Amino acid sequence: MSTEHIVTSYEDELASLDNKIAQMGGLTEHLIADAFDALSKRDAELAVKVISDDDKIDQFELDIEEQAIAMIARRQPMALDLRQIMVAIKITSDLERIGDLGKNMAKRVLSIHSERHPAQLMHGMRSMQELALGQLKDVLDSYAERNTNKALAVWRGDEEIDAIYNSLFRELLTYMMEDPRNIGLCTHLLFCAKNLERIGDHTTNIAENVHYLVLGNPIQEERPKGDKTSQMLVNHDDQD
Amino acid sequence: MQLLTDFFSGLLGLIISPLGVILLLSALAYYFALKKSSGFYAEHGREVHSLPFYNASYVALSIFLPAAVFLLIFSIVAPMVYQSMVETTYQNHLQSLTDFQQSNFINNVFALTTGNITSKSSEMITEASQYLTSLMNVGQYVRWFGTIGFAAIFGFLAYRAVNPRLRARNRVEIIIKTLLIICSIIAILTTIGIVLSLVFESLRFFQKVPITEFLFGMHWSPQTSIRPGQVSAEGSFAALPLIAGTMLITFIAMLVAGPIGLMSAIYLSDYASPKFRSIAKPVLEILAGIPTVVYGFFAALTVAPLIRGWGESIGLSVSSESALAAGLVMGIMIIPLVSSLSDDVINSVPQAMRDGSYGLGATKSETIRQVVLPAALPGIVSAMLLAVSRAIGETMIVVMAAGLAANLTINPLEAVTTVTVQIVTLLVGDQEFDSAKTLAAFALGLLLFVITLTLNVIALRVVQKYREQYE
Amino acid sequence: MEVQSAVKDKVEQDKAMALKEETAKTAANTAAKTVKMSGKDVCVYYGEKQALFDVNLDILENSVTSLIGPSGCGKSTFLRCLNRMNDVIDICRVTGEITLEGDDIYDPSLDVVELRARVGMVFQKPNPFPKSIYDNVAYGPRIHGITADRTELDELVESSLQKAGLWNEVKDRVAESGTGLSGGQQQRLCIARAIATKPDVILMDEPCSALDPIATATIEELIDELRANYTIVIVTHSMQQAARVSQRTAFFHLGKIIEEGETTQIFTNPQDEKTQDYITGRFG
Ligand SMILES: Nc1ncnc2c1ncn2[C@@H]1O[C@H](COP(=O)(O)OP(=O)(O)OP(=O)(O)O)[C@@H](O)[C@H]1O
Ligand SMILES: [Mg+2]
Repeated sequence: MSTEHIVTSYEDELASLDNKIAQMGGLTEHLIADAFDALSKRDAELAVKVISDDDKIDQFELDIEEQAIAMIARRQPMALDLRQIMVAIKITSDLERIGDLGKNMAKRVLSIHSERHPAQLMHGMRSMQELALGQLKDVLDSYAERNTNKALAVWRGDEEIDAIYNSLFRELLTYMMEDPRNIGLCTHLLFCAKNLERIGDHTTNIAENVHYLVLGNPIQEERPKGDKTSQMLVNHDDQD
Repeated sequence: MQLLTDFFSGLLGLIISPLGVILLLSALAYYFALKKSSGFYAEHGREVHSLPFYNASYVALSIFLPAAVFLLIFSIVAPMVYQSMVETTYQNHLQSLTDFQQSNFINNVFALTTGNITSKSSEMITEASQYLTSLMNVGQYVRWFGTIGFAAIFGFLAYRAVNPRLRARNRVEIIIKTLLIICSIIAILTTIGIVLSLVFESLRFFQKVPITEFLFGMHWSPQTSIRPGQVSAEGSFAALPLIAGTMLITFIAMLVAGPIGLMSAIYLSDYASPKFRSIAKPVLEILAGIPTVVYGFFAALTVAPLIRGWGESIGLSVSSESALAAGLVMGIMIIPLVSSLSDDVINSVPQAMRDGSYGLGATKSETIRQVVLPAALPGIVSAMLLAVSRAIGETMIVVMAAGLAANLTINPLEAVTTVTVQIVTLLVGDQEFDSAKTLAAFALGLLLFVITLTLNVIALRVVQKYREQYE
Repeated sequence: MEVQSAVKDKVEQDKAMALKEETAKTAANTAAKTVKMSGKDVCVYYGEKQALFDVNLDILENSVTSLIGPSGCGKSTFLRCLNRMNDVIDICRVTGEITLEGDDIYDPSLDVVELRARVGMVFQKPNPFPKSIYDNVAYGPRIHGITADRTELDELVESSLQKAGLWNEVKDRVAESGTGLSGGQQQRLCIARAIATKPDVILMDEPCSALDPIATATIEELIDELRANYTIVIVTHSMQQAARVSQRTAFFHLGKIIEEGETTQIFTNPQDEKTQDYITGRFG
């Protein structure tokens, strides 16, 4: 940011907007971490906490949106300020979606917590979760620092998550085909993996917004698309 | 006349010393009140209602004004009182005298007392003068004590009233307002007084000469007998030739001053470079400062012969004193008036108006003709009418250049005369105060007043009707 | 597999189409806008003091160009150069080149009066002449002999007032004085007056600075409509107004153009730090 606004209260409001987004981002990070913990440890109690934590994130979203709208009405922001406020609205909505996805994972914990988890599967899930969480952390940092390079790195890094997701998808399919009794658990886990993949997508959205916020234009390159599951065929021939 | 000036200079002398005293008292009071209020101001600061300056001013004014008013009233009333006391004391003696001798006696007594030489002194006068002297001595005491008494009482009351709660600021405000009102009332009353005296004297004139003859007669020759009983031709008092002459000369003057004045104003305000303007404007104003008598002999000695020579060269008979000469010179005289008033008016048309016109692609002269002049019209009309009033009232040039012959004519080459000129000739020399000839001057004055008043009213109405609100 | 590749093809096809349309659109945008007026290295001096420094600006035909910048930066000065209103000021001197459709307007052989008829001006403060509403509008046409007879003039006055959105309010009182109108009406009268002269370019110096939001909106609507037939340059102190009405914006600072470009770009993504600071209220 360059010089300060002449109107200090405007400056304060913009700062408070950033501040709220930072808080909301921190909360979301925690929620995802907790949700995954609950999943891996089959901890129903933690899952319940996660579900209730999501309300806080929703509250943050409402709060930030309200402030942003009030600022648009009162300050009629231009240029950088306009972009900051617009981006704030978009980022909060992404964060809110991420929160929802975390909550969705936690809900699944409640329905599968009695079942046995194949350790190898959980290993893949864990590395995917760590990657997604790291991306989220990085993108929030890039926002706080207005760092486009970091944002671009996050944006490109999403491919990796997609790759893991692809292999997990295949793996889960294999499990299900091996033993139909696995289908219940695996479907849930599949959804959890999908959720993590979606979290990655929202993170790239945020990265795009950070880029736009700082430079005023969208990222020009073609984004590498890694999620190939929509084109993946279920090959029954393998079993025979 | 002599008597009167002496009387006034004496009065002035009487006023001066007590006036000096109350001024001194006010100054002292100002100082002490300032000290007192500064004291509590330093202590209480903002809680004090009025600043020390206002408190002090209030006290000083409380001393000065009542005492000054007393002095003024005293100096008006005291002579009246003296006179009536002298009159009552010498009632018996006065009763034996005629009206004329009575006033003579009183005048002589006052003159002797104030140390002026009297025409004839009698024992009675000397005695009365001694009586008057003793009266005046008493009067002196009254004056001193009255003045100082008023000053002391009001000063004390005001000084005592000085405290933090005193609304001195508001009171000073009221005092100032009152003073301003009084001043404007004096101006108004004076005007009314002059008009009334004109009206009453004119009424006396109309008792001698019927108003119809004055207004509608054709002949003006006021040469009546100077003293009652003297055998002489009855004068005739018809103002028409005078008015015609006035109008003729005014018309010629405006014919000269109107266009030239207006156009030079336009040139100065819209065309001239600032440098030229800064020289030309003062020069024009110098023209306005030349005494009219100078214009007068310029008209009589230069212009009139010129016109005559020129007229004769083309075979016209021109009288040596002509309306044309007077009118031309008078026109030149009022050019600065017209141009300076019009210049102000034209300058006050906002630049935005001109810009608007230029912005539409109008040339300078189109802008002036179609935008500036219409906008300035009311002001220009009133400037013109003011110039007309000036021309009507002008005397000197006409006396010298147009002559005294009251011809009823519209030929500018003949000699004419004007209302003001005739007023002058009627009043020059020793006159009896209530002869028709003298009173005729008042009637003419009234007529002149009515004419200029009408012109002013018309000017005002024009301005109101066509005034444009361009903020 | 077939289905999939079909889907893929379709997606690809759509993309290509969209891209084509996009480029066609931008091409149309730039092609339609020819340069109407252009200033090259314009410097203006008031006596010793230089008010504009090498200003270069193209004004595109049939578009609204807004000039913004802090007070005293030379916006009005530049605007007044465009129809040589600076000639009225004795001490003012202009160098550089300003062209109208390629012709230098400061060429000595050019008739200023004609130029001003082609490049009309509306001032910050409404300045109707102290004449009737009709005469105000008819002023320009009469001077330039635009109309042949009275009926034609009547029509021109009516259509100008209509374009300025004032006709309905004044049609019953065109003979009344123009100075008796309200501020907003007066400003629209001045605009009608400028239109009636049939200029190619209309210059407006803060035309809404004294108006309420409704009157401002009427004038902005008017500017939007006028854009189809005229080229408009507007000076404004309201960022929002510049953003609303103009297609191009130039930012002046201390007598120089700091940045100039598409209005949307200037207001969402200005390239210069100073522009950004100014339009976001950070100047200092
Ligand atoms: N008639 C003049 N004589 C001398 N200097 C002038 C004149 N008009 C303008 N200037 C100077 O030129 C500079 C630019 O003035 P200009 O009127 O173009 O500013 P502006 O950008 O229109 O400001 P604003 O937004 O206040 O209208 C200012 O510094 C001003 O002092
Ligand atoms: Mg300006």
